[in-house]
Amino acid sequence: MLLTQEEEAMARGEFGLGIQRCMEILVKFGNAMGAERLIPIASGHTMPKEPPELLRNLTEGVKSTGTFTTLHSLMDGFSPESCKKMGQPEAFVRQESADFAQRREVYLHDGFLQTYTCLPMLVGNLPRKGDFCSWIGSGSQLMLNSLIGARCNRDGTVMSLAAAITGRTPYYGLLVDENRHAEILVRFAGLDFDKLSPVQLGAIGYHLGAVAGNRNIVLDGVPRDMGLDRLKYLMAPLAVTGAVGMCHIVGMTPEAATVEEALGGKPPAQVVTVGMKEINACLAQYAHTGGDVDMAIFGCPHCMVTEIKYLAGLLDGRKLSSNRRLWIGLPHQHYKLAQLMGYTEPVEAAGGVFASSCMALIPNAPLPEGVKVVATNSFKAAHYISRLSKGRAKVVIGDMDRCIAAVTGGTWKGGAE
Amino acid sequence: MNLKGRIISEGEAQGSAVVLESAFSWIGDFDAATGTLLVKGPLHGQSLAGKVLVCPTGKGGTIAPFIAYQAKQAGKAPAAILCDTADPILVESALVIGIPLLDRVTPSPVKSIRTGQTVRIAGGQVTIDN
Repeated sequence: MLLTQEEEAMARGEFGLGIQRCMEILVKFGNAMGAERLIPIASGHTMPKEPPELLRNLTEGVKSTGTFTTLHSLMDGFSPESCKKMGQPEAFVRQESADFAQRREVYLHDGFLQTYTCLPMLVGNLPRKGDFCSWIGSGSQLMLNSLIGARCNRDGTVMSLAAAITGRTPYYGLLVDENRHAEILVRFAGLDFDKLSPVQLGAIGYHLGAVAGNRNIVLDGVPRDMGLDRLKYLMAPLAVTGAVGMCHIVGMTPEAATVEEALGGKPPAQVVTVGMKEINACLAQYAHTGGDVDMAIFGCPHCMVTEIKYLAGLLDGRKLSSNRRLWIGLPHQHYKLAQLMGYTEPVEAAGGVFASSCMALIPNAPLPEGVKVVATNSFKAAHYISRLSKGRAKVVIGDMDRCIAAVTGGTWKGGAE
Repeated sequence: MNLKGRIISEGEAQGSAVVLESAFSWIGDFDAATGTLLVKGPLHGQSLAGKVLVCPTGKGGTIAPFIAYQAKQAGKAPAAILCDTADPILVESALVIGIPLLDRVTPSPVKSIRTGQTVRIAGGQVTIDN
């Protein structure tokens, strides 16, 4: 790999041990991937779950991150502010709090911005079309490439950390023009997107991820005015059942004014059609035959203030039934905004708990005692919670109204959504 | 028998081989606290600690390099990895824990090496002892 003079000096250790160690990882990784050089990045986004010793090792002698860098959601559902209300086991909270305190020292010293969200674009990390970035989080990577038009590979936790510290990443894969075109063309049959619920949108993503694998896709027929609070449900599951890094949406993606542009002027390798049949097949995988729901989970990806407003309306004057739980993941900045606007009060009065953490990984905490059925409006959360709980909990999918009804005195009506 | 591979993470290592026939994931296939495999079948419960992991490729979630690091700290990480094609996550994981990783190994290590055989790695050279 060809390095600039400054990069050579970084690799020799002239800027300290941390930079040198990060450069070694970046260069060896770049060589393995066939990258010819490193490229400066416009922003970083890293995972706040580093083993503390590793974080200190890679930041030794570092005065500041090499680029504007935000932090992903706190993992395993851990939240320093809310862990007591969530009733997480003491041993888990003690260990997580100790690691959190050690990481926080490094974040404060080096200027990692403690955003704690999987939607960094909502809290000030907003690159421009054509910018190169290194972000963690399969959903944020996909949305960055597809909605903003900035460029990011499906980097792992160490690559994104090394990139944030040095301000550089290997130039390969989805950073390169010719690798960004779509191979699979997706059309829709008999769907009115304005009438589809977030859960139905999620089913489309869940179905298409399995079809696409790691190939780029283009969706033709999604209305260009669909808001991020709905789009995130459509997109996130593409990187759950599959490893999609680029999902063009015609008329919305900056690189996809037309189907032809998204495909790079070539014919598609595969054409796929999605309709209600595919949506209902995915919903059936997480159907509830009816009965009790112990816990409702929202915020995967993180809830936006518009969703908290809706939730506040649903919960106004209602209370969670005894032994029922409601957890909501959101950026703490949107919590402040929702609080200012009066939307958090009805939710908390009803017994709901907000946390700036990842709701898909809550079984690692583990799940609270007695939770046998978890309801969510998120395919991504349903997928991971059902697998991580190792059969302890059944996960069912329904829209917010249905989930809330089931934990506030009603029961879940049988069948799919 | 000798094999040859492309060096992604260099070093020397020697250990008993554990051969997986499908892609390896640090998450779901492996318990970092004990160093044992969670895969279904005869290799379930087999320890990877100090062993040479042989697999076609890697797969799985982006937090994997941290899991590999935890295993290394606990003394439960493999001593080296040999594979046909290294996926980005396998590359990151081997680099961060500083163990040898060779890919494009010929002939294919999954077909040439059996679980339990002693394997020596030096540079891009792999030697199988019986």
